[in-house]
Amino acid sequence: MADCIARVMDFTLCLTQRSRMVDSKRMRMTSNFQWPLLTFILLYLMNQVNSQKKGAPHDLKCITNNLQVWDCSWKAPSGAGHGTFYEVCIENGSYSCYPSEKTNIKIPALSPGDHEVVISPLRDFGSSISKFILSEKNVSLIPDTPEILNLSADFPTSTLHLKWSDRGSVLPRHSNVIWEIKILRKKNMEIVKSVTHNTTLNGKDTVHHWSWTSDMPLECATHYVGIRCYVDDTHFSGHKEWSDWSQLKNVSWSPDSQTKVFPQDKVILVGSDVIVCCVTRDNVSSAQIGLTKCPLIHLDGKNVAIKIHNISVSASSGTNVVFTTEDNIYGTVLFAGYPPDIPQKLNCETYDLKEIVCSWNPGRPTALVGPRVTSYTLFESFSGKNVRFKRTEASTNESHQLFFQMLPNQEIYNFTLNAHNPLGQSESMILVNITEKVYPHSPTSVKVKDVNSTAVTLSWRLPGNFAKIKFLCQIEINKTNSIQELRNVTIKGVENSSYLVAVDKLNPYTIYTFRIRCSTETFWKWSKWSNEKQYLTTEAIPSKGPDTWREWSSDGKNLIIYWKPLPVNEANGKILSYNVSCSSDEETQSLSEIPDPQHKAELQLDKNDYIISVVAKNSVGSSPPSKIASMEIPNDDLKIEQAVGMGNGIPLTWNYDPNMTCDYVIKWCNSSRSEPCLMDWKKVPSNSTATVIESDQFRPGVRYHFFLYGCRNQGYQLLRSIIGYIEELAPIVAPNFTVEDTSADSILVKWEDIPVEELRGFLRGYLFYFEKGERDTSKMRSLESGRSDVKVKNITDISQKTLRIADLQGKTSYHLVLRAYTDGGMGPEKSMFVVTKENSVGLIIAILIPVAVAIIVGVVTSILCYRKREWIKETFYPDIPNPENCKALQFQKSVCQGNSTLKTLEMNPCTPNSVEVLETRSIVPKIEDTEIISPVAEHLEDSSDAEPENHVVVSYCPPVIEEEIANPGLDEGGGTSQVIYIDIQSMYQPQAKPEEEQENDAVGGAGYKPQMHLPVTSTVEDLAADDDLEKTAGYRPQANVNTWNLVSPDSPRSTDSNSEIVSFGSPCSINSRQFLIPPKDEDSPKSNGGGWSFTNFFQNKPND
Amino acid sequence: MAATVTQQPQKLVLLTGDSWGMLACLCTVLWHLPAVPALNRTGDPGPGPSIQKTYDLTRYLEHQLRSLAGTYLNYLGPPFNEPDFNPPRLGAETLPRATVNLDVWQNLSDKLRLTQNYEAYSHLLCYLRGLNRQAATAELRRSLAHFCTSLQGLLGSIAGVMAALGYPLPQPLPGTEPTWSPDPAHSDFLQKMDDFWLLKELQTWLWRSAKDFNRLKKKMQPPAAAVTLRLEAHGF
Repeated sequence: MADCIARVMDFTLCLTQRSRMVDSKRMRMTSNFQWPLLTFILLYLMNQVNSQKKGAPHDLKCITNNLQVWDCSWKAPSGAGHGTFYEVCIENGSYSCYPSEKTNIKIPALSPGDHEVVISPLRDFGSSISKFILSEKNVSLIPDTPEILNLSADFPTSTLHLKWSDRGSVLPRHSNVIWEIKILRKKNMEIVKSVTHNTTLNGKDTVHHWSWTSDMPLECATHYVGIRCYVDDTHFSGHKEWSDWSQLKNVSWSPDSQTKVFPQDKVILVGSDVIVCCVTRDNVSSAQIGLTKCPLIHLDGKNVAIKIHNISVSASSGTNVVFTTEDNIYGTVLFAGYPPDIPQKLNCETYDLKEIVCSWNPGRPTALVGPRVTSYTLFESFSGKNVRFKRTEASTNESHQLFFQMLPNQEIYNFTLNAHNPLGQSESMILVNITEKVYPHSPTSVKVKDVNSTAVTLSWRLPGNFAKIKFLCQIEINKTNSIQELRNVTIKGVENSSYLVAVDKLNPYTIYTFRIRCSTETFWKWSKWSNEKQYLTTEAIPSKGPDTWREWSSDGKNLIIYWKPLPVNEANGKILSYNVSCSSDEETQSLSEIPDPQHKAELQLDKNDYIISVVAKNSVGSSPPSKIASMEIPNDDLKIEQAVGMGNGIPLTWNYDPNMTCDYVIKWCNSSRSEPCLMDWKKVPSNSTATVIESDQFRPGVRYHFFLYGCRNQGYQLLRSIIGYIEELAPIVAPNFTVEDTSADSILVKWEDIPVEELRGFLRGYLFYFEKGERDTSKMRSLESGRSDVKVKNITDISQKTLRIADLQGKTSYHLVLRAYTDGGMGPEKSMFVVTKENSVGLIIAILIPVAVAIIVGVVTSILCYRKREWIKETFYPDIPNPENCKALQFQKSVCQGNSTLKTLEMNPCTPNSVEVLETRSIVPKIEDTEIISPVAEHLEDSSDAEPENHVVVSYCPPVIEEEIANPGLDEGGGTSQVIYIDIQSMYQPQAKPEEEQENDAVGGAGYKPQMHLPVTSTVEDLAADDDLEKTAGYRPQANVNTWNLVSPDSPRSTDSNSEIVSFGSPCSINSRQFLIPPKDEDSPKSNGGGWSFTNFFQNKPND
Repeated sequence: MAATVTQQPQKLVLLTGDSWGMLACLCTVLWHLPAVPALNRTGDPGPGPSIQKTYDLTRYLEHQLRSLAGTYLNYLGPPFNEPDFNPPRLGAETLPRATVNLDVWQNLSDKLRLTQNYEAYSHLLCYLRGLNRQAATAELRRSLAHFCTSLQGLLGSIAGVMAALGYPLPQPLPGTEPTWSPDPAHSDFLQKMDDFWLLKELQTWLWRSAKDFNRLKKKMQPPAAAVTLRLEAHGF
């Protein structure tokens, strides 16, 4: 029952499929067709239900592999056993039935549309018949499994070649077939590649090829290949399916016993990835490329591989890949490089139209050398010929060349240059008309031949077959001291390589240098210049006669003919001699030939008019004669003019004179030479009025004499006479001058002219300097006009030769200097010293007058004095009392010299006062209000180190001044003596007293005693004894010589410095243990009776 | 006898036809002029000087090879130029091996040792010339050619020593002439290995030859030195 339901479902499905498939058709049916169809379906359904009750064939399936035969199969009824026969009846236009023993049947392909298929099981009464509707749409197209005809491997290139047949004979033509090919590697069948490949059937069995290059060398592992197909027939409306996979075929490398590394010596593109494997039976421990280690990829067995990514360019010997096993190493070399670059700058040209040279630049280096280097082939397409180029050297960037033999009668060449190396190829093309690309060799064997003196022929060789072309050649003509000339000539090319051209318009007897280069008329490139060829053209007759001049000799008897040698371009050869002839109206006289180096001739002529002609001769012939008249027309009004040159020449101008019919001639000579002198001459055309005389012989500072002659009626007349300098210079000598006359107030100077040679210019004047000065003092001083004491006189009158200098002082030395000057500058100076004469009268007067005046005054005074002598005496010499009689003054003078002078001059009667001089030995306390450290004390302080105990304080009078030199350390060490010098009036000043009493008992008891009361010849005092009575008693005159003598040598107070200090206060000091005066002044106390020193000399002075 | 021997290398070099060959020929001839008895006016000094010169030449070649090997191994590229590269000797069977047991070598007679030296350098020179033809760069070819010339000189020098000692030169058996031609089946890598081994064998041979000649020199020197000394003593 379930089976039955399934069948109904199947039918329904079938119907549904049908209804879908014919949907469009149905839609167009009219409604009156629907009712019979429904009835039919219902009937069919009933029939099926009935048949199911008994069991019936079901699941009819049809497939085809060639679209011609359908293979339909079905499932037998459930109860059907073996031996069941079926009758299959198909309604296909007619109704045909096929018996079948199996559950399938092959039927020819049915026409499009639905067909009723009735399958009736025979002899099986339990089963019922089945009816199916079959159409092409229910049929599946499954092609036959393809078969690999051949699988081969090309190991060196790692390429697999697959071969199979498409069996196109059994399939409809033009069907597309899709082939799927899979490649598997290693024993575990890793798929490495799966590709599809499309073909079209052509009705025949066709064998197809497919190749695949493996990234891994095929030797490394076994590779398997399988294939299946899919027929895409557009006419078939049924279901299309892939065929089954073919049987896998494999390729493997049968290793020999040796371990090998693959790929071997392979050339690869830089930057590509490459797999290198080692086929071995040993354990590979490591692998490296160059210096880099690589991870191992394990393959079947012990084979290993490494993968190199982005390989870099190899060195010239390749890149080494090495596998290391336990006891050996194996390796291979890879050559990573580039395919050849496109040949650059391909250019083809010919040197000789026999051979074409093609050159190019290889471009980027391929990094491949040796057998892998790029090979080049040059192919010419019109002729089909080619030439090959191969180099084993590593190609550098230098240009490559190939030679291609030219073909006869072919001018256009189409070259293709092909570059090839293992990595690829490239090419470059060029189409050339070779006659336009001729780069001739440089001309050789240049030869020159004479034609005449102004023309030559040049011949040269230019190897090559140039019969069909024309050359444009350049001839470079070089002449010494001349600019080079280029001449272009067009020559027809020849076969025999010899070329000849004529070169004209040359100068005779001139050295020329020729060289040649050529190109074709259709210019491509100039050839290189040929070697230079030097040639001297032949001589011709001189083109002009020599330039002549004549001079009468000084005695006027002989005429000297001068001529200049002809310039090279006029001589036209080597001048051998000159012919001089003179002709007058009557006769013609000819001199013998004068050989060349001589350029003058002397003729003895009378004063007749002669015409002298000079002819120059060379080996070819004689020049036209140059004629000159001998006659000189006098000119009376001639002045000598002056001229100075400008630059290199001296300009001369003159007025136009229509009478001058022939040339003007300017001749000149050095003016210092004797007559006749001739340095050179110049001819100027008669129509010109100015010229510039230039000569290499002119020197600055040399005077030249120029004579301008005019030519009139075949005679010459001197028109102007000019002296001049090309450039003026300063004189080189000073004028020689002498003093003609000297007076007391003037000097007359006279000088001489400077010779012309030394003047070196036109004299413009003299400068005269003079000044007072002796020879020695002023000699070194230059006399400059700027100095105020130098007087200058500028003498511009050059005819003046004397000068009187007036207003000078008598008997005075004068320095005179004279120098000449020109426009070129100042000449050197010449100096002279002159002493003016003495003025004697003046001197006498000057002496006598004062003497006379003095005498007169003296006499008058004497007389007057004598007359008035009484009055004078009264007035000037009155009687005056003698001040020496005054005792007070006497005292004052002798004792108190150091006191104020006022007292000395007081004429008041002196009353004696008591003067006390106190002496202290011990440290003296300060008693005064104002302490003054005297300069002496300061001085002492400086030197106190040496004399610690000699501090003497000196008090002056009238003020009580006590000075103490502070030196605490020393004060303690020894007794400091103090001298107090007290004014008489202030003797009892209270402030001094207490200290004194404190310190000196003995002193306190004593009083002042005037010196005069003291016995001068008292006992000798011992200085060492401080308590000496006499000493302490009071003042003691310093005149006591004995005390000085008694000074002990060991006394520290007796040093010089000490005595000096003391001496400041010494004049009035009275009581001291010390020597106030140094011993060396021993004598002075005796004479003076008081202390004296240099210092107090000043103090005492007023008293004196 | 000595004269004919020394001229043999000259012919060989001339056949190569390059300027280095000419130079080598000249050098060789000059080198052996003192060894030619006919030219030696001072009398026969014995084999001593020629052994000394051969020794010197060997040392010079050792020095020259050091620089050449450096250049060439750098050309071969890593790992050949690595200092510790020491592959097992694959192939290169035809190269004469310099590695012999020292005792065995020392027990050989002078004649045998000299003969083996001569044969070895003949072979090595041939291979070296093959190497030269294969070198890719011009500079390398120049260096190799220069070395070949020097080696040719050494070969002549050994021949001179053998002649001086009265030993015959080994005659190559017909058909066993070493010829160098790159094996087409030889991969580039194996070729590089051969090159490496050629240089290495050369180095070992030169080292061994230097020792040989030094020993030979010492062996020959004492009587000669004694005579010289005696003569000098007598003179004074």
